[in-house]
Amino acid sequence: MKKIFALILTLAMVLSLAACGGGNSGSGGGAPAGGDANAPADSGSGDGKTYKVAMICDSSISDGGWGMACYNAMVDAAAKYGWETEVSDSIAQSAYYESIVAFCDLGYDLIYAPGNQYTDAILQAAEEYPDIAFALLNGGADTPAKAANGNVTSLLPDAQQVGWIAGILAGLMTQTGKVAFIGGMEIDTTKGKYAGFVESAEYIGQQEGKTVEALDVVYSGDFSASDKGIEFAKAMMDQGADVFFGDASAVDSGARQAIDEFNAAAGSVKVYDIAQPGDFLGQNECIIGSQVTDNSGLVGLCMEAVENGTFGGETIFGTMQNGVLSCGKLSDLVPADVQEKYNSYIAQVMDGTFMQ
Amino acid sequence: MDSAFITNLILASVRMATPLIFLSLAELYSQRAGLVHIGLEGLAAIGSLVGFLVSLITGNPLLGVLAGAAVGILVNMIYAYATINLCAEQIVYGMAINIFAPALAAFIYRVYFGAGSELVQVGLMTTLSGMLGITSDSFLVRLLLDQTPMVYLAYGLVIFTAVYFNKTKSGLNYKAVGEYPKAAATLGINVVGVKYAASVICGALAGIGGAYLTTCYSTTYTDGNVAGRGFIALAAVIFGRWSAGGVLLACLFFGFCDALQIRLQVGSYGIPYQFFQMIPYIATVVVLTVIGMKKAGPKGVGKPYLREQR
Amino acid sequence: MKNKFVNILVPLISVLLAFVIGCIVMAALGANPFVALQALWTGAFGSMRNVGTTLARSTPLIFTGLCACFAYRCGVFNLGGEGQFIIGAVVCCFIATRSGLEGPIAMVLCLIAGALAGGLWAAIPGVLKIYRGQNEMIISIMLNYVATLFMGVVYTNWLRDGTVPQTAPVPDATKLSRLFGLRVTTAFILALVTGLLIYYFLFYTSKGFQLRAVGLNMTAAQFNGFAVKRYILMSFIVSGAIAGLGGSADLLGTQYRLINGYASGYGFDGVAMALIGQLHPLATILVAIFFAVLRVGSTTMQAATGVPTSVSDIIQALVIVFTVAGLAMVKLPQFQAAIAKLSAGKEAK
Repeated sequence: MKKIFALILTLAMVLSLAACGGGNSGSGGGAPAGGDANAPADSGSGDGKTYKVAMICDSSISDGGWGMACYNAMVDAAAKYGWETEVSDSIAQSAYYESIVAFCDLGYDLIYAPGNQYTDAILQAAEEYPDIAFALLNGGADTPAKAANGNVTSLLPDAQQVGWIAGILAGLMTQTGKVAFIGGMEIDTTKGKYAGFVESAEYIGQQEGKTVEALDVVYSGDFSASDKGIEFAKAMMDQGADVFFGDASAVDSGARQAIDEFNAAAGSVKVYDIAQPGDFLGQNECIIGSQVTDNSGLVGLCMEAVENGTFGGETIFGTMQNGVLSCGKLSDLVPADVQEKYNSYIAQVMDGTFMQ
Repeated sequence: MDSAFITNLILASVRMATPLIFLSLAELYSQRAGLVHIGLEGLAAIGSLVGFLVSLITGNPLLGVLAGAAVGILVNMIYAYATINLCAEQIVYGMAINIFAPALAAFIYRVYFGAGSELVQVGLMTTLSGMLGITSDSFLVRLLLDQTPMVYLAYGLVIFTAVYFNKTKSGLNYKAVGEYPKAAATLGINVVGVKYAASVICGALAGIGGAYLTTCYSTTYTDGNVAGRGFIALAAVIFGRWSAGGVLLACLFFGFCDALQIRLQVGSYGIPYQFFQMIPYIATVVVLTVIGMKKAGPKGVGKPYLREQR
Repeated sequence: MKNKFVNILVPLISVLLAFVIGCIVMAALGANPFVALQALWTGAFGSMRNVGTTLARSTPLIFTGLCACFAYRCGVFNLGGEGQFIIGAVVCCFIATRSGLEGPIAMVLCLIAGALAGGLWAAIPGVLKIYRGQNEMIISIMLNYVATLFMGVVYTNWLRDGTVPQTAPVPDATKLSRLFGLRVTTAFILALVTGLLIYYFLFYTSKGFQLRAVGLNMTAAQFNGFAVKRYILMSFIVSGAIAGLGGSADLLGTQYRLINGYASGYGFDGVAMALIGQLHPLATILVAIFFAVLRVGSTTMQAATGVPTSVSDIIQALVIVFTVAGLAMVKLPQFQAAIAKLSAGKEAK
């Protein structure tokens, strides 16, 4: 009797879940038809073939940050080139390799891994599956050379330019002369963004005749702790910071929440945030602009290369010049004259004369 | 160290202690009935998600908190049935809840919002000062009035718990179940009934602790947002020597450590931030070592109760 | 005999039940459960390569499972397997990348040092339990967090390799060799040997008997003059050493470097393996391999059907939930009485 009760309880739970699931059918690119599991990994690129790309990710693709942006980049690129997509997200570090290999065995043409942490697993799988293409977003510039079969490509948005785009705006907008940066993990791209942010903000300060300094970078240690974002932002506002930039997904959204609360208490928007990697203007009151990274362009280049049979062994940089990096819309909180100045500095970045 | 630094530190400590208080009380009620529960992390995770969803759908954070409590109770019934009726290993069940409930939460979030969805934000509960329309920068106002009703509930529950366990007959009976269940049964106490009641209270409080995170603290839900608080609560109960007042002090201390850790990191120069993050854990071990245990815990904790073996 | 049969039957039924529920969820999401199950099978056993991956995946689980198993046999709850595993890996990494030694000597040195480090790390809760009466579970859980954060310091600062927060890989000469060119390495053999040694120690030596006696009834063991405290401390150190050995073997065998998220969850997994394996070292190994099959297989299942990863997490949790409940249930006096009645009735016929 008791056992039956336990069973009913579990069943009820499952059924209620199923009811939730009824509304939204499936996830990712939808469930492929049966028999896919046995699809051969054909290397020939015959006409009319539908190519397939798979993404692996250690965070959730519904995180409203990095995971989401990278997933949408893949979906957008796939829509443009007519590819099928699939994704495995929230996977543990110990399952990186297995997840990649699972997709390889299922006959996917391109494996897309957004993050440096997948490098080892990608290199290992690339050695075992020479006919499959592997794209590593934020991979090292030297990683493609390490792949024995030359089937790994690094996609590398220029971290310095990312930092510049935000730093210029921060330098122009700060009243207190203190700007802040919240990082996720202490990785190279984050450090590069911070360095670019600091040097450009300080440079702008000199140009505009004021002192601008950046607080020390802080790291939340992960990309999901929005509560840490709240506390970091509060602590940094206590130290006088009034323009924030970050690189930590959900942690950033926590920071924006704290900033909005601070502004609400003060009665006017005095502390600003610069968003990334999408154009998030309007998501929070404090967002005055965004640094936009169009990863779908980079992924699309990989797809094109796979279709043409020219994939592999290169590092593709994403810059303002090739359109991968850009500035989002500016909020009304940025005065017209400042917007003008901002655009002129950005033009300098574009033509390579910034800080020269 | 100016005064602003200190006042902000105190405010942050209180802020960070509140979810810990709910979770620690959940653990306290469970352990006082002889059920050691390491699955609070999981209960809080599902409570956090359901609280978020309900608060989003209804627009009422209070309903979110209630729903968080309800789902906490529901999931904890799995633990209760297995450990009370089947006498399964409590530690393993707590652990199983820690794997099961967060996976369930992640699953529901994904199915409900879909893949690659935009960031979903929910309105938070208004603070008392907000309700009264008071705006002031004074430290006392911020400390005493600038809090959500849940904070007052947390401290109220601490007082209630202290009185209940020490001054009421029912509370003493409850404690007897955790100390000597067989003796309690001979006195006519319904041991199984108390243990189930404990599981209901524990599930509800843990669910509320989780829901607090998404209805009063952060406007977003992310997988893993409980971030080890369930385990810190476990430490807080032992650190607080199984008394409500002690648990409160322990929570405030851990909240203080956490707040200090964040602030030290912001002002730090070159010291690896992980050392700061270790503070609460090391503090627990060190303080436990220094104080010594003196066997303050319920003696029947962790042991199954078999009616037939009386 | 009958009990043994039931003990094997319960996990099997539990797995079945968990999968039935998992399939219902998948079907509700619009995925074909049969495709899913087929993918699970292919993922784990589809090719020699997959079998190798599965065995490689089982290796760390075997070590942490044995770690939990050994401690519980002496009646102490070592929940610190994860921390001990990590500390073993950290020390191993330090020696492998910084000592300047390479090859078999470094390999042996790394394994021994890893085991020692794990043992020492486990000695902390052991000593605190004996001399300060501390709850070993709490201390060992807290130390897991400390170990994980410490590993973070090591790979982001002290042993950082250039630009990314990870250590340099172990030199090729120091890596454990692969078996038949597959992903599984000699670390797996080492795990099996460790399991056999523990089995021999626990069931065929007098010290092992005494240790089990302490675990079964501490008071009675004390009454019989067994050095209970010494056994408790020993069981902590040995179980920590097993986990530490596992950490260094895993580092030299599959992982090669320390990186964020390494070994997360291994400790609790081990506790579950040991309990489902009913604290028998050899059964624990089998359970660990089974869970590796589930994990590797469910990765492919997830990839083939596109259901969220959390579904396979839920299935795995349900396996634990059902098995542990089932095993507890068959130990209940009521159930035992029912079985006895049933078999008595059969014999009467």
